[in-house]
Amino acid sequence: MEILEQLTEVFQMVFEDDEIEIDRHTTANDIDGWDSMSHMTLLMAIEEDFEIEFEEWEVIDLSDVGELIDLITEKLSE
Amino acid sequence: MNSQQNIAVLCTTYQCQQGNAHKTALRWVDADFTCADYTFAALEQQSNRYANVLKNLGYGKGDRIFLYLPPMPEVYFSFLAILKRQAVAGLLFSNFGRSAVFDRLSDAGAKVLITKQSLLRRMRDVIDGLPALEMILLVDADQDEDESVRSLPILLAQASDEYETPPTAPDTPSVLHYTSGSTGKPKGVLHVHGGISHQQQTVKEVLQLESDDLFWCTADHGWVTGTTYGITAPWSLGHSLVQFGGLFNAEHWFRLVEEQKITVWYTAPTALRMLMREEDKIKGKFDLSALKRMYSVGEPLNPEIIHWVKRTLDKDIYDTWFQTETGAHMIVNRPGLPVKPGSMGKPVSGIQAAIFVDGERSQTPGTIGSLCLKKGWPSMFVSYLNMPEAYAAKFKGDFYESGDLAKVDADGYYWFVGRGDDVMNPSGHLVGPFEVESALLELPEIIDAAVIGAPDPLLYEKVVAFITLKPGLAWDRKLEIKCRIHISNRLSPIAVPSEYHLRESLPKNRSGKIMRRVLKADYLGEDLGDISTLEV
Repeated sequence: MEILEQLTEVFQMVFEDDEIEIDRHTTANDIDGWDSMSHMTLLMAIEEDFEIEFEEWEVIDLSDVGELIDLITEKLSE
Repeated sequence: MNSQQNIAVLCTTYQCQQGNAHKTALRWVDADFTCADYTFAALEQQSNRYANVLKNLGYGKGDRIFLYLPPMPEVYFSFLAILKRQAVAGLLFSNFGRSAVFDRLSDAGAKVLITKQSLLRRMRDVIDGLPALEMILLVDADQDEDESVRSLPILLAQASDEYETPPTAPDTPSVLHYTSGSTGKPKGVLHVHGGISHQQQTVKEVLQLESDDLFWCTADHGWVTGTTYGITAPWSLGHSLVQFGGLFNAEHWFRLVEEQKITVWYTAPTALRMLMREEDKIKGKFDLSALKRMYSVGEPLNPEIIHWVKRTLDKDIYDTWFQTETGAHMIVNRPGLPVKPGSMGKPVSGIQAAIFVDGERSQTPGTIGSLCLKKGWPSMFVSYLNMPEAYAAKFKGDFYESGDLAKVDADGYYWFVGRGDDVMNPSGHLVGPFEVESALLELPEIIDAAVIGAPDPLLYEKVVAFITLKPGLAWDRKLEIKCRIHISNRLSPIAVPSEYHLRESLPKNRSGKIMRRVLKADYLGEDLGDISTLEV
C-alpha cells in the first residue's frame, strides 16, 4: 500500500471521517479537529500503524502532510 | 437607544449611526494570510441578510439557534443575525465531538443548527436523536440536501440586506454557553442582552481600547471569552478586531501581530507557554512595536510568563479572571494598577468580591476560602437552562459562589488557589470529569474509570485517567490510542487524558461514588486525608 493511501486511512480512523482525503499539501487547517491537542493522538496512531517511532524534535515543525510522508519514508528505510 | 438594548444592533446599526459605517469592524486573516476587511456597514448588511434568512424560515424570538463552525466570517454574521432575531445564540467549539454537540443541542432544544458539511458528518449518527432540531443550514453547500438541510448561500442570495430589529429589552435572552461541572453533563449558562453594559464597562476600564486600536482576542467563539471579548464587547463600542483563521503556530502568530500592527492582544497562558518554548523562533525576529500591551485569561498567569513577556517582548501583560457565568471581567489586573505577579488583581468597578469560609464571610487577609461575588451585576447569567435548582445552589444569600478557591491580601489583591471541585482546566478550558469517565466507560474493555486534573507545565492541568480493565485484558498502546480517539471524537481533543493508570479497583465511598480526591492525593504523593468512608 502506498504511504499516502495508508496515511489517509490513519487520518480517517483518528478523526472518524471516512471522507477525509489528504495530499502532500494538506495542513492542519484543512482537517476539522486537527489541532495541537489531537496531533499527539494522530502521531501515536501513525507510529502504531507504520510500526515506527518518532522523536519529539522530528515532529514539532511538521508543516504539512508532505513533510510527514517524507519523515515516515525516512523512518521506514532505517 | 433606551428601548433598544439589542447587542447586535449596538454592534452594527448603532455603529453606522455613530459615524463608524466605513470603519473596519473585522479584519479577517485566513490561514494563508490573505486578508479581508469588513466595515461596520458590511457587518450590518451581512447580519441583516442572515437575519432575513432566519425570518423567512420562520425562526425568531426565543428559538435556540446553534453555530457549530470553525472561526470564519460566517460565524460573526450569523451570530449577530441570531441576536437581531431575538433568538438565543448557542456557540459551539468547532473541535467538540459528536456527544458534546449532541448533549448541548438536546438540552437546549435547538431548532436550527448552522454548520458546514464536514462537521455535519460527525453528527450523522446522532442527529436523529434530536427531535427539536428542524433545520440545518450549511455554509458550504451549493444546493439543498432536502427540506431540512439547506444551502445557506442559496438562501442568502434570496434575502434582503435590510432588516429592522425589534426593540429588545435588556432582560431578553441572548447567548447560551455550556460549562462543565463536577457531576452530570454540562450546564447551559444563559445570558441576556442587558449584559452588554458591563462588558462595555470592562472594555473601557480593563482593556482600555482606544478608537484607533486593533484588537486580537485569540479565544475561539465557542468559549465565553471569544464571544464577549472576541465579538460583542469591542464591536458594541466601535472597535476594530482581527480574527485569524489559522491554528496556533508561534511564527504565524507573531507574523500576524507584526503585519497587522495589532495594538492590544488577548490570549491564554497555555499559548504563551507554547510561545516561550519556541522563543528561538520568534525572539528579535518580528517588529512588535505597534503592540502596546497584552492580556491573559483562562487560567492563572504564572509570574514566569509575566517576566518572560517583559524580558522577551518588552510588553506588559495583565491577567484577567471571569467565568462563563459572570459574562465579563470580574477580577483583573489592568494598566494603572500595580501588578503583583501571580495575583488575579482587584475587582473591577461595581463588583464586590469576598472570601467565604464555612458559609461565613472572612475578614482576615490570607484566609483561603470560596471566592464569591455579590450578585446583581448586569452581565450575570440568568439561569442554568432546565436546571433551576443548580442555579439556585450557586447563590448563598446575596453572593454568587464561583467554585474557585482564593485568598485576598491586605492590599485587596485576590490570589487564585485552585478549584473547589473536581472540574479540570486543561489549556484554560473547563472539562468535567463525569463526561470523560462516561465516555471511557463506553469502551467495552473498560469496566471502571475515574479522571482527575493534575498540574502540567505546559497545559496548566492535564487530564489523568485511572481505569480498571475487564478481567483478562492487558493495557497496551493500541488500547491507549483507542481511548484517545474515542474521547477526542466524542467530547473534544481538550478532554483527552494525557496519562492512563491501571487500577484493580477504584476508591469509592459507601454510596459508590468515586473518591477522585483520594486518587488525586495518591497521584500527587500527598496525604490521603479522611478516608473513613472509603469502601474499596
